[in-house]
Amino acid sequence: MPLFGKKKKENQSERRQTASSQNETSYFGKNLMIKGRVSGNGNIIILGALNGEFDLRGRVKIAQPAKIKGEVKADVISVNGSVQGSLAAKERIHLDQTARIEGQIITPRLSISEGASFDGEITMSDRSSKLSRPDAADSAPAPQNTTAPTKK
Amino acid sequence: MQKDKTADSTSLLSKNVRIEGEIQGPENLHVEGYIKGAIVLSGDIFIGNTGILEADVEAKNIVIQGEVAGNVKAHQQLEIHPTGKLIGDCSAASIDIKEGAVFEGRSNMIKSPEASAGHSPAQTSITAAQNQKQQQPK
Repeated sequence: MPLFGKKKKENQSERRQTASSQNETSYFGKNLMIKGRVSGNGNIIILGALNGEFDLRGRVKIAQPAKIKGEVKADVISVNGSVQGSLAAKERIHLDQTARIEGQIITPRLSISEGASFDGEITMSDRSSKLSRPDAADSAPAPQNTTAPTKK
Repeated sequence: MQKDKTADSTSLLSKNVRIEGEIQGPENLHVEGYIKGAIVLSGDIFIGNTGILEADVEAKNIVIQGEVAGNVKAHQQLEIHPTGKLIGDCSAASIDIKEGAVFEGRSNMIKSPEASAGHSPAQTSITAAQNQKQQQPK
């Protein structure tokens, strides 16, 4: 019995490892419609429709037939599809030839290919990128805590 | 919607990603992450080992290896693997629950998968046969 149990556990962990290595990039096909909020760690390729919000640590690729209405926050965003709303990236945003954007872009680095359409507003200053990323503000209070004990 | 179209592609929700909201469409879905809300697919749904759903699910075939809390409706088959857990009511045309699986809830069998799936070729052929029978006595 113990042998059998062990074997079963090994099988499970193996299966989990293969699953995690294969599944780092989520893929939302062109027929999938999502209403709501998508969050977490990982990369995403979307071909379908999203009505709501992306909030991810990772790369988001909005591929050609995709239609996004709402807010997209990620480290890196590349767009081939259409977006109505705001795009906020921690690192960079790329708008490819077929991209159609209506709304706001917040990013420190931006590239737009010829043929892309963009109606809206771009913010590239540090101040606004900190505002879009709450974790940048998290590191600020830390020095205050360390100085307090040294005064005593 | 294009509900009668068969799902040709499979979407994937990976381990550390979560969706709160509604998901629908003629698509297959493989879940290794977390979904809270509602899922209505005319394709199949596969809930992997790390997949967790807190949602009502409707799909053609449903395979559970992870955890599902919510009501589940499979137009064809519901399959719960030994690692799978279903807390909620299920209705399906056919059920397959493996030894070791956890299922807490009520089960309700759908009589014919064609009746719930809508316009299927089988159903139209039956009605065509009935029409022929009606015409024959004349």
